[in-house]
Amino acid sequence: MIEGLAGFVAWLGASVVVLSDGRRGLALGAALSTLALAAIVFSGAGPVAGIALGVGGLTAAARRLTVGVAGWGIMPPGSTPRFILCVGGGLLALWIALGVTSGHSSALRFAVITVAGLAGARVLSSGESSVLLTSVALLALATAAASGLTEEALAIWPYVGAAAIAAGVGWLPQSAPRAA
Amino acid sequence: MLPEAAELLVLAAAALLFALVFAPAAASRRNLLVQGGTGMVATAAIAVVPTFDLALLTIVGLGVMQAGIPGKRTLAVRLRAPVLAVAVLAFALVFLRVEGPAVLERFAAVGLVAGLAAAVGLFPYIHPFAADEPVAASPIVWIAFVGPVLAAVVLSRAEGLLSVDAGQALAAMLIGLGVINMAWGSIASWLTDDTAAAWRYSFLADWGLVLCGFGLTLSDGRRAALLVLFGIVVGRLPLYLVSREPRAERVTSEGPINLVVAAALAGSAPFVGFAARVLLLRGATQLFWPLALVLALGMLLWLPGSLRLGRSLGRPRGRQAFGVALAVAVNVAAGLYPLPLLAAAKL
Repeated sequence: MIEGLAGFVAWLGASVVVLSDGRRGLALGAALSTLALAAIVFSGAGPVAGIALGVGGLTAAARRLTVGVAGWGIMPPGSTPRFILCVGGGLLALWIALGVTSGHSSALRFAVITVAGLAGARVLSSGESSVLLTSVALLALATAAASGLTEEALAIWPYVGAAAIAAGVGWLPQSAPRAA
Repeated sequence: MLPEAAELLVLAAAALLFALVFAPAAASRRNLLVQGGTGMVATAAIAVVPTFDLALLTIVGLGVMQAGIPGKRTLAVRLRAPVLAVAVLAFALVFLRVEGPAVLERFAAVGLVAGLAAAVGLFPYIHPFAADEPVAASPIVWIAFVGPVLAAVVLSRAEGLLSVDAGQALAAMLIGLGVINMAWGSIASWLTDDTAAAWRYSFLADWGLVLCGFGLTLSDGRRAALLVLFGIVVGRLPLYLVSREPRAERVTSEGPINLVVAAALAGSAPFVGFAARVLLLRGATQLFWPLALVLALGMLLWLPGSLRLGRSLGRPRGRQAFGVALAVAVNVAAGLYPLPLLAAAKL
């Protein structure tokens, strides 16, 4: 039940990132997705992995709260295609996670597919650096969470690596393009 | 570590050393060393890390770090390709790990090929290119420095993860994409207006051969792929770096050195590209002879573009001439006696 709820929150957070242009909206979306992924990873890969993922993602969300376009910017005019992407992507991920694939933790499958898909799509559709870097952080967290799908013994390194990338990506110097 | 990846790492280190020694006098060697060294460490990490997930995270990190280098393209343009590559490869990984119908493995194979193409910058995911951008910030890093190691790692890991059926689908896609890249790269290298863009497209054409080599699933194909990658890292990349040397007048020349360079770039005997092409044609003949015919015809497309690129070097002098001679000599040596290279990679 909790895992199912966490899967839904992961989708909701990624959708908020897709639908937001302002730093508050982006930070909220990143925080929601991070908490959901951390909860799912916590139950599957153990507390250390979950905490590592949570700390990395929440650091990224906190950083986003201070840098970027001011305000919430959720669903600005012209965001209908993004809304359709969120709903359509969520339904497709749900079908793949529950109907097509099987095995342990359908919530993890759903969360990984939906967060990676929506974050990847957001990077392709935006030119704003705060949006891009938030999406990159989420993609890193989702990639690390995917290591929980393996049958092998889980190592902590993917989670720590993803947390470091998510936490560090917000500090990327954003130099403007320069002429030759 | 995979022996093939280890060898390509050593070659990448040699290319970095070449760049440091033969960089234009005005360029900051300290910046080049820091940026190239960071790229080298990240590339080594892709090959060394124990799991595919960590390799993907390393690609994300490398993409973000490269996007932070000041350049002409925007952050969004530079981040898109590596992020898309990681997203697609992550999907492939999920499809490989979950239980489900066999068709999922075929989707995983599609994801592996698409992700590799997006990361390296191959057709249909060609990275936007700005001719006067510093090399460290340009897509050349992905196609000529990181890409060879990345391809060796991704495709060797794919071999262990895919079933026979999905492995055959992967091989077919690699060959198909390879032929398209051969044609696209060599024709664009010949016909494009900008010389720097022509150099970039020539890398694309070479990658077509690499993909075909990996797709042949025979030892000859893998050997050919390694030799073409050698030619990319230790031949084409150094010559591209030399071609970027600012000169007083941008003249083209048709002297003997230009013809020799053109022959090296076109894969003529006795250069390493020739040995690779022979192995590739032999492997293709064993597998399906009409494919060898297609490849042989495709290889002819290298000639006009290579002549153009050879001419673009002008009349190299001093340090530039020494750099060209060194690159050509290494390519001749590997072309005449490629066995140590292949043995080191256990091929």
